[in-house]
Amino acid sequence: MRIGRRRVVVGALIALMLVLPLAVKSAFALDILIRILLFAFIGTAWNLLGGYAKQFSLGHSAFFGLGAYTSTLMQIDLGISPWIGMLAGGVAAMLASLPIGWLCFRLRGPYFTIATIAAAQVLMLIFLKLRDFAWGAEGTTIPNLGDAPLMMQFDGKLPYYYVVLLLLLVALAITAWIARSRLGFYLVALGEDQDAAEAVGIDVPRVKRDIYMLSAFLTAMAGTFYVQYIYFIDPQTAFNFSISIEAALVSIVGGVGTLLGPLIGTLLLETTSALLQSWLGNQAGVQVTVYSVILMAVILWRPTGIMGYLAEVRERRRLRQGIA
Amino acid sequence: MVQALMVSNLAKQFGGLRAVQDVSFTVRENETLALIGPNGAGKTTAFNLIMGFYRPDAGSVRAFGRELVGLRPHDVCRMGVARTFQVAKPFGGMTVLENVMTGAFLHERRCEAAREKARETIAFVGLSARENTAARDLTTIDQRRLEMARALATQPRLLLLDEVMAGLNPAEVDQAVGLVKKLAARGLTIVIVEHLMRAVMALARHIVVLDHGQKIAEGAPTEVVNNPEVIRAYLGSSAAA
Amino acid sequence: MLEIVAQAVINGLLIGGIYALVSIGVTLIFGVVKIVNFAQGEFVMIGMYITFFLATQFGMDPLLSLLVSMPVLFVIGVLVQHFLIRRVLGLNDLPQIFLTFALSLLILNIALMLFSANYRTVHTAYSDEAFHFGGLYVPVAKLIAFGVAMLLSALLWAFLRATDLGKAMRAASQNRDVAQLMGINPNRVFAVALGIALALAGAAGSLLMPFYPAYPMVGQVFVLMAFVAVVLGTLGNVVGALVASLLMGIAESLGIQFIGADSGLIVVFLLLLATLALRPSGLAGGHTR
Repeated sequence: MRIGRRRVVVGALIALMLVLPLAVKSAFALDILIRILLFAFIGTAWNLLGGYAKQFSLGHSAFFGLGAYTSTLMQIDLGISPWIGMLAGGVAAMLASLPIGWLCFRLRGPYFTIATIAAAQVLMLIFLKLRDFAWGAEGTTIPNLGDAPLMMQFDGKLPYYYVVLLLLLVALAITAWIARSRLGFYLVALGEDQDAAEAVGIDVPRVKRDIYMLSAFLTAMAGTFYVQYIYFIDPQTAFNFSISIEAALVSIVGGVGTLLGPLIGTLLLETTSALLQSWLGNQAGVQVTVYSVILMAVILWRPTGIMGYLAEVRERRRLRQGIA
Repeated sequence: MVQALMVSNLAKQFGGLRAVQDVSFTVRENETLALIGPNGAGKTTAFNLIMGFYRPDAGSVRAFGRELVGLRPHDVCRMGVARTFQVAKPFGGMTVLENVMTGAFLHERRCEAAREKARETIAFVGLSARENTAARDLTTIDQRRLEMARALATQPRLLLLDEVMAGLNPAEVDQAVGLVKKLAARGLTIVIVEHLMRAVMALARHIVVLDHGQKIAEGAPTEVVNNPEVIRAYLGSSAAA
Repeated sequence: MLEIVAQAVINGLLIGGIYALVSIGVTLIFGVVKIVNFAQGEFVMIGMYITFFLATQFGMDPLLSLLVSMPVLFVIGVLVQHFLIRRVLGLNDLPQIFLTFALSLLILNIALMLFSANYRTVHTAYSDEAFHFGGLYVPVAKLIAFGVAMLLSALLWAFLRATDLGKAMRAASQNRDVAQLMGINPNRVFAVALGIALALAGAAGSLLMPFYPAYPMVGQVFVLMAFVAVVLGTLGNVVGALVASLLMGIAESLGIQFIGADSGLIVVFLLLLATLALRPSGLAGGHTR
């Protein structure tokens, strides 16, 4: 797509996302939209590390949870606004990503993945035990202050939609900027072949560390948002493994290493999930069964995801036109 | 004359296998040296040691006066040493241009400058027609060209070429030899690991022969080729096989 | 005090035998096929449910059901290799990791749909019996499980050392290209590797039933243990996985005894993280890739 046309399309999409909720009347539908944007945001954050650099973490729930707990602790114990707590949570996650990354990057491929799972689980276990410091296994609700924008609490769902939309747009902007920059090239290079990347002067350990910190920071912000949205936090929710899974899943289905992959993937998966829920109710296991079938189908037939498939189609069409 | 590369008493053991034993040689600036020897002689291991992919058990490697042992490969690259891999390692999902840009970024921070430099280098190796082809779709010889272009884009002073002639037909070999000669003409110091004697004779003024990890001969091409040790190393191993 | 430690060690050792069956399967698949089987725990679960149904429908003793669960899971292994694994060989990490991961989720959730989350148990004549050595209490069912686990491990080891197919598997594990040049059919070798690994998982499941409940999520616990044991024992090293599993069983048991009932998992994770920090290539050295 040429630059001018791309700008128009992007502008139209953003405009659409801005006005969409105004057309939606039901709170249920709005909730779905919010979840879509939230997981698209988390997926986009994951995609930086897992999609571009191909370091497949299944431990991002660690950062989600850290973000959630940091802002909640600051709010309840110190009365500090979650807006600041959100940034503080990001910093906490960034700092945590240093030792976690140092440990996990000592392994490659699937064993890196397992190590990230272990690290996230350890964090959950720690918070389950921290009764005095952080409410332990029971967790806590955050006090409902009614309409309190400065404390990130709003009447009605609409404002939450715009907050998470802003987060998503920021993440997309960051991803777009990185993808076109030197860092972007370095990420893809090390994802393709670490040794060859080193041989052309890329400081692979440092790049991995830096992108991990960024990915952690953004994911933590999602954690803060989520607590504010559901007014509740406990270790099982904040550090839930399914968050790690979904972060990776939406990127794979939508297309790893692409800008819009996570967003597209989330749209597909969340709408499927919502439809399933209305047809089949909430029966245990159904939703994830469908998810896993979709995931397997994507991996077996279209490992580059939806965006990858679209790119191939476009490439084939271009070649055909070139010959004709 | 400055020593471009000084390898002294290099040694590396893997488990019980002594891959490289007490190897020393020197390469002068703007010289082309060939490292030859039968299979398993330790040539690629030597490259890996120089580049920092392995840490030597003993010995030192100095490039342009700076010690390389202990440095990570990316730091070695920053010092001006670049390499190609025996089995090509392109960034498969990227195009040729993007591959070479990745190398160019070492010295050019901005995208446009890197692109310019990459285009130059791609033209130099003769890959311009394939600029927008995905690296994984290239033919063998083009992948070799890509390896070279990507390494060149890092603006090295010393280039290590690992068996660039492998798998090429005679016409392609001539092209590759021509390319390496162009590089030497530009002032680059080059060390090639090569099996194809025709290419070695055409390119190298100085040859080092390795066998079972040890240096068994060194000298001008005509000397080395007639050295009985060298002949025995090659024939001996083929007789045993 | 010594008695308490000894008891904890015994407990840990016995369950470690089960961990060994699961982790040997994982390390075998990794060594030969170069794929991490995230779904290994789910095959243990399948073994458990097979045994459960044979016991409740036909009154078959869990030990006897080994004769059913192991062959059934062997066949499943071959099918998995043929229809799924084969298609992602040679691709990079992403398809390989997420394929077996998706498979794990799929099997687990199908089980959830079919059987619900309820615990199913099998009670045998010897489920409550125990030997008493000095002051030590050794449950019969666990001892049998350990014994059979060690027997199967020994048989596998012999198979890998002495038979042509076993040697072919070791060759493929060390250098796939050379093995192929020597005429070894990789697909056949991989199918056998998958078959054996899953059969071992199924055996673990059958052996567990007399003293452990079956439920859809049960595999997750065992697979986690298995992965840590595989890393600790060095990737691809069968003996390493065995030894590491026994050590981990003991470590977990000591943790439960001296730190707290739910600390077993933390101990194991800390073991993993410590291994990563200090000796990432595992106890037997070797490569981490």
